[in-house]
Amino acid sequence: MNLAVSLGKMKLSNPVILASGTCGYGKELVSYLDLNQVGALTIKSLSITPWKGNPPPRVRETCGGMMNSIGLENKGVHRFLEEDLPFLETLTTRVFVGIWGKTIKEYVAVAQELEKARRIDAIEVNVSCPNVEKGGATFLEDEETLRRLVAEVRSVTGKFLIVKVGPQVRDWGKVVSIFEKEKVEAISVTNSFPALSVDVEKMDFFFHLKFAGLSGPAIKPLALKMVYELLCVTALPVIGMGGIATASDALEFLLLGARAIGLGSYTLVNPSSALQVLKGLEEYLTRKQIDDINSIIGKVR
Amino acid sequence: MKAMVQNKRFLSEKLCTLTLTGDEGITSASPGQFVMVKVNEAFDPFLRRPLGIMEVDGNTFTLLFEIVGRGTKMLAQKNVGEELDVLGPLGKGFSLFPSFGILVAGGRGIVPLYFLASTLARTGIPFVFLLGIRSREELPLLDFLEKFSPVFWSCEEEVPGGFCGDVVALLQQYLSSVSLPVGTRVYACGPEGMVRALCRVEMLRGIPVEVSLESLMGCGFGVCLSCGVEKKDGKGYYHVCKDGPVFLLSEVGL
Ligand SMILES: Cc1cc2nc3c(=O)[nH]c(=O)nc-3n(C[C@H](O)[C@H](O)[C@H](O)COP(=O)(O)OP(=O)(O)OC[C@H]3O[C@@H](n4cnc5c(N)ncnc54)[C@H](O)[C@@H]3O)c2cc1C
Ligand SMILES: Cc1cc2nc3c(=O)[nH]c(=O)nc-3n(C[C@H](O)[C@H](O)[C@H](O)COP(=O)(O)O)c2cc1C
Ligand code: FES
Repeated sequence: MNLAVSLGKMKLSNPVILASGTCGYGKELVSYLDLNQVGALTIKSLSITPWKGNPPPRVRETCGGMMNSIGLENKGVHRFLEEDLPFLETLTTRVFVGIWGKTIKEYVAVAQELEKARRIDAIEVNVSCPNVEKGGATFLEDEETLRRLVAEVRSVTGKFLIVKVGPQVRDWGKVVSIFEKEKVEAISVTNSFPALSVDVEKMDFFFHLKFAGLSGPAIKPLALKMVYELLCVTALPVIGMGGIATASDALEFLLLGARAIGLGSYTLVNPSSALQVLKGLEEYLTRKQIDDINSIIGKVR
Repeated sequence: MKAMVQNKRFLSEKLCTLTLTGDEGITSASPGQFVMVKVNEAFDPFLRRPLGIMEVDGNTFTLLFEIVGRGTKMLAQKNVGEELDVLGPLGKGFSLFPSFGILVAGGRGIVPLYFLASTLARTGIPFVFLLGIRSREELPLLDFLEKFSPVFWSCEEEVPGGFCGDVVALLQQYLSSVSLPVGTRVYACGPEGMVRALCRVEMLRGIPVEVSLESLMGCGFGVCLSCGVEKKDGKGYYHVCKDGPVFLLSEVGL
């Protein structure tokens, strides 16, 4: 049975990717799963200097999901290269690294730093975090800024380039034409959904920044619609994510045409769930007597 | 790991203990560590619930929890023979070799300190246990402390035998009545208000205070960064699940 897929020129041993921000810097998960068995892992979005993130509370459970307001806390690209790259170098799986900045210059600087690390297979430009006041999803609000950001990152990196988008996109056609023109090689969709929660005891907003990102099973149908609409306007490979917890969830995205899928929040609940999803995909193919996963990708259009 | 409920007991309407049998993983648990419990197999409630480990005996361990919301309510409905999905032991626990320990628990904060007291007792390290409860309803918690001595307790309601007030006032009374050996450590776990009040106790100056903190948690094993607690110097956050849940009171900004 063949589970290998490709995102353009990027070959993956299977379509299951650990999504950014939910698999830490990789190491944290080793006692729960063999990282070499996933198609790729995506390191938490890094900034040029360490970033402390948002004040607590940072998480709230919702019906069938969760909201987070981590605010992109991360140790910064330099400490990452020093403390985590050596571990990642011992892996054989694909390593993607998320990047973010408050300005275009900061994104570019992170990409430049990562360029030196040969072990890193791809850069995922996060332009869709709903939890920061500057940077993140604000880049999706203005198409000219987005174009400059993508073009400038592209100009400093030879690595496989992914852009991660979210529901803030207003016009898929316009965004996609920017990505295609600036040689983006794949699109991750979706980041969490901007959402809100009220603390009735305190009679106040639950999160300091008011809005927080909704993720988990609750968003799956919304994410599926986004993936579907995106694939109506682009031939770029899409990594589909949003609410995936089971093989059947993953199959929905693959059938719509996503070439790989990201597992986010559910890894927090079941750190080895990527392996269960993988096993479920194999069982599905066996049951359907299909020997290549690629033959189901995009079957539902 | 899968853990099977061996015993369930309600101490009061709101307090419940579950004894579970898991696998060898749990045998390594040390006082202050916790587990992440999935209360059902569905996607709602979505997240696991962090609960302190109260007692470990071989593969068997005991949890004591307060029913405060949906998750703990569902947990209290589990019956003997049912299985739960549990991750752990997780986090960093208490230091185990003081010359003398002062254990200060508020309500359900008794959980990790009971485990600590049992461990200290086994190694012959002397300690005093101070427990604060809010109301009569929590009196059954005192039964756990029968095997330890000395024990002092307080209740915010007037109850015979107990100090009337909160546990921090009880601690102050205790501190003013003794002279402490070099190497004394204070160990505390309780509601946020109690922990904050500890920061203001003058007589604790110079005595290391280890405190087990609670926070909302997404994962419990360090990947999501949901469990931030501010560092004392204001330069960023510790993560309760990985750097804690036990911290020196002097290193966190509360
Ligand atoms: C390391 C650690 C150890 C803990 N050990 C114990 C223990 O031994 N016994 C015990 O009774 N409780 C313990 N708690 C608290 C326990 O996790 C929460 O009470 C529980 O998750 C609430 O779940 P719920 O679904 O019933 O409540 P929810 O419906 O989720 O919430 C009800 C209330 O509980 C509060 N709450 C929710 N999650 C947490 C949390 N993670 N920490 C603190 N408050 C929370 C909410 O803010 C809300 O006010 C511990 C927490 C941590 C972080
Ligand atoms: C706690 C948490 C932290 C996240 N951090 C990041 C991040 O740093 N960068 C990023 O691109 N996406 C981040 N995400 C978004 C996820 O990668 C994913 O796109 C989103 O949660 C939707 O997928 P899910 O429903 O499977 O979680 C985070 C999500 C969560 C829940
Ligand atoms: S709860 Fe996820 S990092 Fe601590």
